[in-house]
Amino acid sequence: MVQVVFEKVSKAYGDTVAIPGLDLVIESGEFVSLLGPSGCGKSTTLRMLAGLEQPTSGSIRIGDRDVVDLAPAARDIAMVFQSYALYPHMTVAENICYPLKKRGLAKADRAIKLAEVAALLQLEPLLARKPGQLSGGQQQRVALGRALVREPSVFLLDEPLSNLDASLRAHMRAELIGLHRRLGKTMVYVTHDQLEAMTMSSRIAVMRAGELQQFAPPDEIYNRPANVFVAGFIGTPAMALADGSLADGGGHLVVHVGPLAVALPYAAAARPDAVTVGIRPEDVLVGEGPWQAQVRLVEPTGYETIVALDAGGLALTARVPGSNALRVGETVAFDLRRERIHLFDKSDGRRWEPAGR
Amino acid sequence: MKKRPAWLASLITWPIVLLIAFPLLWMLITSVKPAAELFSTSPTLLPKAITFEHYARVLQDTPFLQYFANSMILATSTTVVVISISVLGAYSLVRFAYPGRETLASLVLFTYLLPSVVLISPLYLMLVSIGLANTLASLVIAYTSFALPYALWLLRSFMAGIPQDLESAAMVDGASRMGAFIDVVLPQALPGIISTALFTFILAWNEYLYALVLVNSDEARPLTTGVMTMLISAFNIEWSLLMAASVLMSVPLIIIFAGFQRHLTSGFGAGGVKG
Repeated sequence: MVQVVFEKVSKAYGDTVAIPGLDLVIESGEFVSLLGPSGCGKSTTLRMLAGLEQPTSGSIRIGDRDVVDLAPAARDIAMVFQSYALYPHMTVAENICYPLKKRGLAKADRAIKLAEVAALLQLEPLLARKPGQLSGGQQQRVALGRALVREPSVFLLDEPLSNLDASLRAHMRAELIGLHRRLGKTMVYVTHDQLEAMTMSSRIAVMRAGELQQFAPPDEIYNRPANVFVAGFIGTPAMALADGSLADGGGHLVVHVGPLAVALPYAAAARPDAVTVGIRPEDVLVGEGPWQAQVRLVEPTGYETIVALDAGGLALTARVPGSNALRVGETVAFDLRRERIHLFDKSDGRRWEPAGR
Repeated sequence: MKKRPAWLASLITWPIVLLIAFPLLWMLITSVKPAAELFSTSPTLLPKAITFEHYARVLQDTPFLQYFANSMILATSTTVVVISISVLGAYSLVRFAYPGRETLASLVLFTYLLPSVVLISPLYLMLVSIGLANTLASLVIAYTSFALPYALWLLRSFMAGIPQDLESAAMVDGASRMGAFIDVVLPQALPGIISTALFTFILAWNEYLYALVLVNSDEARPLTTGVMTMLISAFNIEWSLLMAASVLMSVPLIIIFAGFQRHLTSGFGAGGVKG
């Protein structure tokens, strides 16, 4: 079993601390995405795992080996780069065989492995070509092939899809999921695209400024974001976030946000006073309800319409099914899915849930 | 855009080509004219008779071949030394982080600001003190001293264009850093290396001043100074022999240029090394 463990790993460039101290355990066979905005340290984390950057302190283990002092070549990993990093002077076949050659595999064995990978990725017609003669999607597949051919214990992928156009990206996403299922190998995937992370990962590590914000399966990241940052970062359109306060409304909890006083289906037990209230667009129900809001913006996308609302100073976003006849300036009634309102303690930004929920 | 007729382009370019090439043409013509025709009062453009006696004399009666061998050894060793050092140096300047890296790079170029005349005496004294005066090695050192900075800068810009991901990929794929350098960086930098090598070779082949000052024995004299000293004396210039020697001197460069022209143009045109 090949577990990947980061233990108190830090990385500083001179006085700039990129990663203050990372603890992360990736289980064998998992597909883990490192997700975050640019500069959050996700690529640095991956490059430290690959051995392309040296951590300032801490230990990184792959399986039962501490790899911090090992050269990239000795780590039993393969990596796919955002730029693909195909060797331009080698043919596709030579590119794919390069890792095998470096490991001293005999020519006949290399040919067998090459044939396997080429069949898996449908690269047979391209083997004699140079990377410069391939399309972006083909280059991407060659880069994958070069990583697969070695059968490493861990795959590292650094934004491998970000240079592809949208339709190809969706296609490659599906291929990667299938590949992971077939190989059952540990994969660590760096991306800033939450759609990629949500669709492919078994768990997502959301990072910000070098710190791990939340490490959980996609549905938990979406439905129970651990803090305000994760809440705002995950989800398109983004969750509406506003300052509010909690009060006791005769036994049950009442959240005051903007002009709204929303009774929540929880007992008013111990609670923080000041909170940040998060409401996802799909939890705003436009049409009927106790509250009124003015339509500020209507964005039809075809199968649904995104509506920006102003409820007496509180900015909300709603998803309305289909193409909707709502017009800017119009006043509409709305309700909220109360049990799905997210609450974060204002003092530390962390998710707060009533006991016994 | 309307296409210009081809004859118009030819009309403009050919006279220019002829103008520039005329001295070379004259050199070639003079080298095959019989001595009698050379000083005729009505000069002929095309020789009435063609003779190769001057070539035979240059090759048989003068130390030309010795000088030629010297020049070959000199230019080749200078190129090998300069390329070996500058390829590694340029890679270091591009890839490794160490204090003073940029300053070092600028200082290297700074050596170019000094006229060679200023450097020649101290260099001579230094070479004498290490016992290398009057040897081919002294010229290799001297040429390296001024070819290296340029080579370093030329190669640095080439290496800077090679994506770092390529080396990272090679290292993850199982290569050591040196292995990645040899497998990936060198092939990518090859057009640049060829251009730089050609530049260095030509520089060493044509150099005159240092060769004149640092070397004064036939055993170590290169072609440039050798041909001048053997054929030009205070009283007489052996024009036909000089021209024949000049033609022979140009041949290696022409061959090298013809052979590497493709690399040379692709070298100077290589802005986009695609990753």
